[in-house]
Amino acid sequence: MAAYLLQRLLLMIPTFIGITLLCFLIVHLAPGDPAELMAGGGLSARGGAGISLQKRGAVDQALAEWRALYGLDKPLHVQYLVWLKNLARLDFGNSFKDNRSVWEKVRERLPVTLKLEFFSILLVYIVAIPLGIYSATHRDTLGDYATTLVAFVLFAVPVIWAATMALVFICGGDFLYLFPPGGLTSIDYARDWPLWERIKDQTWHLFLPVVLLSYAGFAGLSRYMRSSMLEVLRQDFIQVARAKGLAERVVVFKHAVRNSLIPQVTILAELLPGLIGGSVIIETVFSIPGMGQLGFDAVLARDYPVVLALLTVSALLTLIGILLSDILLAVVDPRIAFGRRIQ
Amino acid sequence: MRRSLFLAAFLSLTLFSLRGDGFGQGAAQPVTGDWLLNHSLSDPEQLNPLTSNDASASEVLGYIFESLLQLDPRTLEFKPLLAEARPEISKDKLAYTFKLRRDARFQDGKPITGEDVLFSIKSIKCPLVDAPFLRVYYDSVVDAELLDPYTIRFKTKEPYFLNEEQLGSILVLPRHYYDPQNLLKTTGVRDLLGDPTKLPPAVKRFADNFNKNYNRSPLGSGPYKFAFWKTGQEVQLVRDPNYWGNGKAGVDQPHIDRMRFRVINNPDAALIQLKSGDLDTMELTPIQATRGTNSDRFKKQFAKYEYYAPTFSYIGWNNASPIFRDKRVRQAMTYFTNRQQMVKAILFGLGRVVDSPIYFSRPEYDNSLYSYPYDPKKALALLAEAGWKDTDGDGVLDKVIDGRKVPLRFEIKVNSGNDVRESVALTLQDELKKHGVAASVRQLDWTIFLDDVKNHKFDAVVLGWQMPATEGDNYQVWHSSQADNKGSNHISFKNPRVDKILEDYRREFDEKKRFEMAKEFQHILNDEQPYTFLFARKAVTPVDRRFHGVEVLATPTGLSPIEWWVPRSQQKYGARETAN
Amino acid sequence: MAVVDKTPATVAAAPGALVVLGGATPEAAGQWGSVWRALQRNRLAMAGLYIVLLLFAVAAGADFLANNKPYYMVYQGRIYFPVFRSGLVRFGLGKWQPELLNMDFKTVKAERIVFPPIPHLATDIDLTAPFEAPSAAHWLGTDKLGRDVTAGLIHGSRISLSIGFVAVGIALVVGVALGALAGYFGSWIDLLISRLFEVMLTLPTLFLLITIAAMFPPSIFLTMTIIGLTSWVGMARFTRSEFLKIRGLDYVTAALALGVPTRKIMFRHILPNALAPVLVSVVLGVAGAILTESSLSFLGIGVPAETVTWGSILNEARSATFGWWLAVFPGAAIFVTVLSYYLVGEGLRDALDPRLKGTK
Repeated sequence: MAAYLLQRLLLMIPTFIGITLLCFLIVHLAPGDPAELMAGGGLSARGGAGISLQKRGAVDQALAEWRALYGLDKPLHVQYLVWLKNLARLDFGNSFKDNRSVWEKVRERLPVTLKLEFFSILLVYIVAIPLGIYSATHRDTLGDYATTLVAFVLFAVPVIWAATMALVFICGGDFLYLFPPGGLTSIDYARDWPLWERIKDQTWHLFLPVVLLSYAGFAGLSRYMRSSMLEVLRQDFIQVARAKGLAERVVVFKHAVRNSLIPQVTILAELLPGLIGGSVIIETVFSIPGMGQLGFDAVLARDYPVVLALLTVSALLTLIGILLSDILLAVVDPRIAFGRRIQ
Repeated sequence: MRRSLFLAAFLSLTLFSLRGDGFGQGAAQPVTGDWLLNHSLSDPEQLNPLTSNDASASEVLGYIFESLLQLDPRTLEFKPLLAEARPEISKDKLAYTFKLRRDARFQDGKPITGEDVLFSIKSIKCPLVDAPFLRVYYDSVVDAELLDPYTIRFKTKEPYFLNEEQLGSILVLPRHYYDPQNLLKTTGVRDLLGDPTKLPPAVKRFADNFNKNYNRSPLGSGPYKFAFWKTGQEVQLVRDPNYWGNGKAGVDQPHIDRMRFRVINNPDAALIQLKSGDLDTMELTPIQATRGTNSDRFKKQFAKYEYYAPTFSYIGWNNASPIFRDKRVRQAMTYFTNRQQMVKAILFGLGRVVDSPIYFSRPEYDNSLYSYPYDPKKALALLAEAGWKDTDGDGVLDKVIDGRKVPLRFEIKVNSGNDVRESVALTLQDELKKHGVAASVRQLDWTIFLDDVKNHKFDAVVLGWQMPATEGDNYQVWHSSQADNKGSNHISFKNPRVDKILEDYRREFDEKKRFEMAKEFQHILNDEQPYTFLFARKAVTPVDRRFHGVEVLATPTGLSPIEWWVPRSQQKYGARETAN
Repeated sequence: MAVVDKTPATVAAAPGALVVLGGATPEAAGQWGSVWRALQRNRLAMAGLYIVLLLFAVAAGADFLANNKPYYMVYQGRIYFPVFRSGLVRFGLGKWQPELLNMDFKTVKAERIVFPPIPHLATDIDLTAPFEAPSAAHWLGTDKLGRDVTAGLIHGSRISLSIGFVAVGIALVVGVALGALAGYFGSWIDLLISRLFEVMLTLPTLFLLITIAAMFPPSIFLTMTIIGLTSWVGMARFTRSEFLKIRGLDYVTAALALGVPTRKIMFRHILPNALAPVLVSVVLGVAGAILTESSLSFLGIGVPAETVTWGSILNEARSATFGWWLAVFPGAAIFVTVLSYYLVGEGLRDALDPRLKGTK
């Protein structure tokens, strides 16, 4: 087992280097110069009000000063090695926008995104697993057909559409006001509110984003659960259980479900790569201060350190997720650890 | 029976009068109290008074810091604030002497002295402080010295009519807070002008410390103190009960107890917050102003204020390109641009057409300028006159220039993320298509866009300028010397008469004479059409009606929340805070 | 959450995704016939197929369905066919008649004039009619610049479909090539390429796409390319497994013994049989690419300003929430398109997989 773990860990390293190198190159070779953005009035200005005449005295010297300050004038490979070296010390550098530590900025936003993701994943499992079981046990009935169809249709609904429709129709525009159109908490949310009030407020704000993030997963996971269950139900030992005279419900829940739950864990590894990317849209539409929004703003502002940091963190989380799910799988199914060959 | 009736009447009368605004409000006196819930579209990047660069930060810092002079929002004249009076100016216009008032204090109680002002200018001039753009603005300041603890004299490079304004708007920072170890003590302003690598290590230490450690904790002398900043959510300022200016004549008296700036990136989400009472004011987008805020309920709760900010949008033609070299082509383009319709449809009527680079409400703006109407026929006639015909039947006009056949085809560049400018470009392009001019629109990210603009890599751009509300200096943008040095004359406008006017303008200290020059300047531009001047936008800002003293002023921001106050009976927040 | 990341890699996680053409033999042709028949029995999949074909027709005929030029016009005694003429001019095969140059067909006084059903182009700006609700003049309303939404949907389908196909085309070429190489040659080539798979799978794809699309000047070509270059892994993996499987079969060993050149073996014998599962990925991949492209243009990146796409119209609804028609219709278009492709893809998958047939 330990050998297996070590093997997986070692294999992760070249993958990680590959990812970071790729991301680094893309980010730095893209056209556009953060120094110029500063000249236009702040890295977050998208040129809204126009160029301020008072700031426009941006002579090359001023820009050169700024570039030197951030080490942007060194050759590319040197910059990469420096970045990598700092990474080893968990130093992602400082943001170009406000010179704050990137790690600090990420850390501020991480809990929000994690909360969002955690509840979405939870919701997916809570809804999809029972749905899959139901489908499998009521195979080929109208119920099975209906649930499969509904799940399928949900899968096809684009998030951008669902989010926009929600915003237009139920978030206080011209129609209904059932949910807030954004933010994590209400304006007068205070730490000294009673716990129940605080939970209520946060739930009210997070409900739509969580549902929107998770609905697409219902289809995939429930169908996976369904086929997994069907697979298990065909196995001999189920026949044996039935022959033993066990009640159908016991057969299903105690034996079939337990065994078919195992591969569902691998789905986690599939879901994790989308952690930051998938939430970009929801966070942007609902103004949620999470990592997705941080990333998007950083991209538009050419804030290289932040963009790189988020790409790296995302990749790292994914790798860890894959590792975890492999370990879990190995724990549960020992054949994998001991008889495994590189596929 | 009688007695209880009398008692009831007495009680109700008393209760009524206790309500305060029951009978005879009359001319109410401003009182302190309540909170103002402002809206910020984005977090400030940081709150360092010198290194910060964005609009959100300037808004917040404006309450915390003060300068030697301040702009009177009604007369647009400079009045003394931290200085006792306007400066004494030497005959050669190179030396400016300010005397400080003795009773001004910082928010931590320490008095403001000349040393702090000297420190402030030194910080700006220090090349290692991360404020390159601010530093360039103060390029003309070459020396500063204290004549006595409360008197400071600045020396400038050359005579310039805006020197007083620039010097007067230096933010005064507390030396004891931003440089506790007095590392800049022995370095004078003159020393900072030289080679940055030769500066003493103490200066380096100061700059490092200043750049890194003061981004989230500003301390100034203004009426509002920094309370906290929850990133991505809110910046909060608290009124300083010990503000040095309390009760002093000529100093704005603050009334609101707390200024809260709620960060909501999405303007539509912000509007919902406004309507549900969780924001007191915000700047509306044109759509929101015309379609989202007209219900009776809204009007009852909010009063809407409209005002123009000193900005204008324009289409800049590359005057050096073979196509736009000819002024007739530029004039034709202006005739093709339906500016009035754009104001109506793109700005939803919230704006007005402008015809000159000078802020239209300023006295020197020339109202007799010819405002080009939308007239495609005239435009086509001008193009024909300039030699453009469709000789090959492909639907696009062409002309032989420098021996080659050139089609009237060009690219309009805009920066992505700006709806209005994009709409302008698309509308013009669509219009031109109908008349044989093949224009295309290219959207670029702000950084690349600015790069192209600076390097003159464009045929046409849609952009805007932000001006101060006071008299401006057009040298930067319109003088020919600023075209080749990557300055602000992006469009390569080179006109010798305009050059002369701009040079003389800077040295002219007689306002009347300057205005005459400005008029001639505008007439030349009106004829030459180096830009197609578009419009100035109107901002619409609703304010919760409980705020009194709200007025539209001539300042760049239009409104001045520091003057607002809420009668005690209508105060919504902060009931537990003691009145002061 | 792999919400928008609906590439085949994600969808393919379900078991049964590894398709085995029961007993791969060189006679692939007969197999396809039975697959087609199996597909026909699936009513939902066929419905999807019809919609897909309809969309193709709409995209191909966009210029005929929505155009500001008439089909047929009798003007000053002469007959003209402006729509066709503009097509010719566009491809350089003809010129405009001088009297028609830059004519405004809507206001011209012609004896007879017949316009297409939607007499607007997607890019026709009309500043006098912004944000109009659906009406007789504009069936699905207009956007902030008065552009007709129906025309936008029709011409937008062209963009969505072309991006979908080119992107998947790129993914197909790259994926199959790499998968074949890995599966056929094995050993260190396989090791290296498998590492590449892992890198691509762990990349935060959507975020990377956003980064690239936002940092480079917007262009349809760039969007197609980057979507293609980030979605080839699923196809590569299938191809690889198929090659691994088939390579071990007797008839291949026999061919090798007979001295048949490697390339011929790969292309003529293995590849045709290995392509079946990839086909499913292709179909699902188009849907995924369309979704990704809509998301990018929804976020305001990837497509140039003049271009009207489904995602860009949808985006306008965010700030003009009273404009429900800007939210409902483009979104529905994306939904219907994606759903149809999924139905076809899933139907194809079921038709190709005899192993799961019994459990369906």
